[in-house]
Amino acid sequence: MPTGLAPSPAQPALEPWQDPSATPYLRIERVTKRFGEIYAVDDVSLEIFRGEFFSLIGGSGCGKSTLLRILAGLEHPTAGRIEIDGVDVTHVPAYARPVNMMFQSYALFPHMSVEQNVEFGLKQDRLPRAERRARVDEMLDLLKIAALRKRRPDQLSGGQRQRVALARSLAKHPKLLLLDEPLGALDKRLRENTRFELVNLQERLGITFLTVTHDQEEAMTMSTRIAVMDAGRIMQVDTPTALYEFPMNRLVAEFIGSVNLFEGKVAGREGDQLLIRTRWGWPLRMRGFQPLVIGTPVTVAVRPEKLRLCQPADPVASNRLSGQVEDIAYLGDVSIYRLRIAPDLLVEMTLTNVQPRTEQILTWGQEVTVQWSPDSGVVLTE
Amino acid sequence: MSKNRARALIRLGHWGRPLTIAIPYLWLGLFFLLPFVIVLQISLAEPALTQPPYTALWHWVDEGLLEIRINLMNFRMVWDDSLYASALLNSLRVAALSTLLCLLLGYPMAYAIATAPERWRVILLMLIVLPFWTSFLIRVYAWIGILKSQGPLNDLLLALGLIETPLTILHTQTAVYIGILYSYLPFMILPLYANLSRLDWSLLEAAADLGCRPFGAFLRVTLPLSAGGILAGSLLVFIPVVGEFVIPDLLGGPETLMIGKLLWTEFFSNKDWPLAAALAILLLGLLLIPFVLIQRLEQRLGGQP
Repeated sequence: MPTGLAPSPAQPALEPWQDPSATPYLRIERVTKRFGEIYAVDDVSLEIFRGEFFSLIGGSGCGKSTLLRILAGLEHPTAGRIEIDGVDVTHVPAYARPVNMMFQSYALFPHMSVEQNVEFGLKQDRLPRAERRARVDEMLDLLKIAALRKRRPDQLSGGQRQRVALARSLAKHPKLLLLDEPLGALDKRLRENTRFELVNLQERLGITFLTVTHDQEEAMTMSTRIAVMDAGRIMQVDTPTALYEFPMNRLVAEFIGSVNLFEGKVAGREGDQLLIRTRWGWPLRMRGFQPLVIGTPVTVAVRPEKLRLCQPADPVASNRLSGQVEDIAYLGDVSIYRLRIAPDLLVEMTLTNVQPRTEQILTWGQEVTVQWSPDSGVVLTE
Repeated sequence: MSKNRARALIRLGHWGRPLTIAIPYLWLGLFFLLPFVIVLQISLAEPALTQPPYTALWHWVDEGLLEIRINLMNFRMVWDDSLYASALLNSLRVAALSTLLCLLLGYPMAYAIATAPERWRVILLMLIVLPFWTSFLIRVYAWIGILKSQGPLNDLLLALGLIETPLTILHTQTAVYIGILYSYLPFMILPLYANLSRLDWSLLEAAADLGCRPFGAFLRVTLPLSAGGILAGSLLVFIPVVGEFVIPDLLGGPETLMIGKLLWTEFFSNKDWPLAAALAILLLGLLLIPFVLIQRLEQRLGGQP
């Protein structure tokens, strides 16, 4: 294995998951993990490609951490098969897998210095001393912690510990790096900076990353693809953009970002547009190619930033709703407005604050009309 | 809060701290330092057929003339007579081997308790502590019954056909080791358990993840991190065993020469209090050495639970 940091010779295609001839690097086939009566991971299949930055996201208890532990070999699946780089590793013990993990708690050895921690895995591989030294130096430089090499973990700050944990898990040049909430223990500012660093690091090393997080913003900024999990199952696997713009069901739509949901029934079709009669009586017109029978219950999902203000008398605009401004949340760059459309319906709208706050266009209680185009939303059947 | 009360509290806080610290100091002074000074004084006296059986260190000869007689012969005798040195060495050897045996037996037990399911832990710990509810002396006496030639242990071994004739265990060095191991094992297990139960098990997962097999992870992670427990348990066993008197006296034979037993003989059989006191002082000094060494070691290991 080369010790240099040269990019991997075969640059992976930009979107290998689009290419039917591409071979997945990590193949998870129908993996199930049962604890007693509870299915922590329920019949999960995934294909991850070389060089990907893949994220598993979901609420607590959705099974994402269990799946990660199964890949590390720390848990054994009740059923299913795992293949890494063409080799079946389902029954390979943790210490023999070409996989390393960065633990959520970092799990640094408290009785060892920073360099001893980083060197630990290399010693297990019985690498010659000189090579071990070189690799440790390389890792410490890479993560800018060379000055801390003699320190013990309890003499480090949270951010420094995170770097040591990362250096230790990268030192063996694993085929797959598993990261359990890698930024979870850092404060907000540090977390945002570290995100970009993590992505740069991953691109430089060419190692396939698989992270687990509950933070959708984190997953969106770092990942090539994201799998949304719920109750041990995978709901949707897609790129951050596709996941945000075209969620497959209500659960995914609600988990990623904010969304307005309008329940109704299919009332007809005009070309590529579906006419939907909402349960409040007014119609909506959305783009939708699904072959849906009239009367099918559906949910229209529209993101708050897709809404825009319009004149009440605007004749061309479809999907027009009127209501009163009930709440305003000023976030600096944007403001979030909640509009009371019906007694049981609040609609969220985000507007960029182009004008200074003093010249705010909307105030509490103001009557407004909003509108969105048939293209800026999706029709969900689940 | 009223001004007066606040002031009273500040005053209390001012005096409270030295008062709190004074209590343990007073205790140590009264029950450790004072007896030590008395024993030291006896060790420098000469034996006498009086009550108490030793001479006074000083007495007034004349008006204004104080005569002090310090007798260093007791220490000289301990040094010259090889009996004492060999008893001391033997005691150290017995204590060292007992500590090692306690560690080898106690570590797996403490580990098993620390890794047992929550509801089992209390029961297992209870079983370790339970013997303390019976007097130490009675438990050692019970071993005489178990180990004697016609005792249950020999009966069992004969019945199983493992031996043909009863073994002579009682009044041998083996019996002494059995007695010590039995009596002192809890003192090894408890600090080890306290240490191991705080071990972060994710460290072992990290070791496995980095390519370390389970036994290697034990050697490189569990063992070094439990060094504090090993040291504490070893001290708790080693120090009292060096001076142990009851077990070698009741279970040991004539060849069991231990300093505690010798001390007893000097005090009660030979009525040579000064010599016995000198022995006690030397023993104390000798036991301080490993204690200081281990404290140094602990400081060097520093920063660990």
